[in-house]
Amino acid sequence: MSKLALSFSNGIKFLQIPNYSFLSVTPIVLPTLQCRHRINNRHWDPKWKKLRGQKFIKMEIPNLHEDLNELSPEERRSKMKKRGIAPPRPYMERPFYISSTGGIFEPYVPPEGDGKVSSVKGVIKEKAEFVEKKGKSWTAIRKIRSYDEDFESKEFAEQAQDIYIKAHEALVEKNKHKLRELVTERAYPEMMHNIKNKTLRWKFVKSLEPPKIIHARCTEMITKENVFGQITVRFHTQQTLAVYDRFGRLMHGSEIIAKDVLEYVVFEKHLANLYGVWKLHDKIIPDWMEKREPRALTYVVEEEIAPEKKEEVQEKKVEVAVTQ
Amino acid sequence: MLNLLKTSSLLIRNEVNLINSQIGALFHTSTVVDAKNSNAGHSNKPKRFLRQNKKIFEPQLPDETPRPAFVCHQKENIRYSPKKMWYIAAFVRGMTVDEAVKQLSFQLKKGAAAVKETLLEAQEIAVKQHNVEFKSNLWISESFVGKGVVFKGIRRHAKGRMGRVEYKHCHYFVKLEEGTPPEHYYLPYPKTPEQQLDDWMSQMRKRKITNSL
Repeated sequence: MSKLALSFSNGIKFLQIPNYSFLSVTPIVLPTLQCRHRINNRHWDPKWKKLRGQKFIKMEIPNLHEDLNELSPEERRSKMKKRGIAPPRPYMERPFYISSTGGIFEPYVPPEGDGKVSSVKGVIKEKAEFVEKKGKSWTAIRKIRSYDEDFESKEFAEQAQDIYIKAHEALVEKNKHKLRELVTERAYPEMMHNIKNKTLRWKFVKSLEPPKIIHARCTEMITKENVFGQITVRFHTQQTLAVYDRFGRLMHGSEIIAKDVLEYVVFEKHLANLYGVWKLHDKIIPDWMEKREPRALTYVVEEEIAPEKKEEVQEKKVEVAVTQ
Repeated sequence: MLNLLKTSSLLIRNEVNLINSQIGALFHTSTVVDAKNSNAGHSNKPKRFLRQNKKIFEPQLPDETPRPAFVCHQKENIRYSPKKMWYIAAFVRGMTVDEAVKQLSFQLKKGAAAVKETLLEAQEIAVKQHNVEFKSNLWISESFVGKGVVFKGIRRHAKGRMGRVEYKHCHYFVKLEEGTPPEHYYLPYPKTPEQQLDDWMSQMRKRKITNSL
């Protein structure tokens, strides 16, 4: 300490580290944060901050991410009123398509094991019986003929196959307008489902067995004259299919390997309509069909709604019931 | 059914609904999206960047190396200055998505939250729509900022003058690519010690001693 005092007295302006003896009290080294502190340039009196703030003329910046649907109806109303927007017209109408039915009437139940080669002759006989001159299907075909005089069941099977191939080709091309002409309104979304961003390569190789009508039905809708005809055709064919993703990587199938395909395809025609045409309507998928192969990629299964939540909902309902 | 329909005007509302439900079961019905409602108000959002997502590439042959998948995503009109956002956008470039999300959650900047949100959204889109198998196998190949809507305000100055204040918004754009990120993002890549030595050697040998042979 004496040295330090000396140095000051000499007018030298630097500090010398004093030598501490063992007995002298050592200074406590406080842990210091190694960081830069902002130099406070502001006035010590906070009143100026407020005054500085007052220089800016207040204006409301609209929230560009505001979602009116998330607000409560009252809030939404007040906001729209403030902005002078008329409330949207409530659309109570429900659209109906009357040019096609919504499903298959009395669908055909395919016999189990159809399309597989069997050594037992009797088994083959039981399989896929084709329409003969009797039964409901025959009467339905006669009714179809009453509307469409040129209808020939043998010719129709060929025609159906042509429609089938054309529809699939339109699908591969993603030609929406052409597909709409070949497919009913019901089948259209089902066919177009999941093909966005994908490239399809489909080929019809050959038919293993000639296409045949196995089932026919006629149904009336609302009025007696409004008749729809539905015909189920059995196709046993060979096809190739390859699905590529947006980047041209193979997702499913192969362009080389042809596969045997057995299908029961339902065609529909609005018979009451003078300009009605046969269109692809649906496909019958039997219960005994093997489950589809899962996709090759690894994927995370989405969690289902937790059972606890469901219970909560149920409890709430019970409460309401009690209070009522 | 016809009779029922004909007399529908006489029916009370409940019964009409009943008939509607019956018809619904018979016919193919679908909801038609109201064009007026869906296009409510014109949007001045950037469109060009997201158009890249619509490009469909030619199928590849089995012996070709598969193209890496990519997704473009954007977040429009974030209430943040584009100049400040640039730091975050540049910070994230060339990182894996997981690393970027981890780093951004410790960034004390307002824009970091928006960027993080955008990255997570893009990751989800990649898996759900663009056939990406593993969501952590993605890296940020592009990350940049655009200028959004600017609202103009006024502030007072001395001597009866005034100044303009700009309340800015920014757009954030990100492109995720499948695979592992490259070692260096920016060109030119830093030289290896060997390269540096070679350069130095050649430089030394090139020297010309003036007035010599």
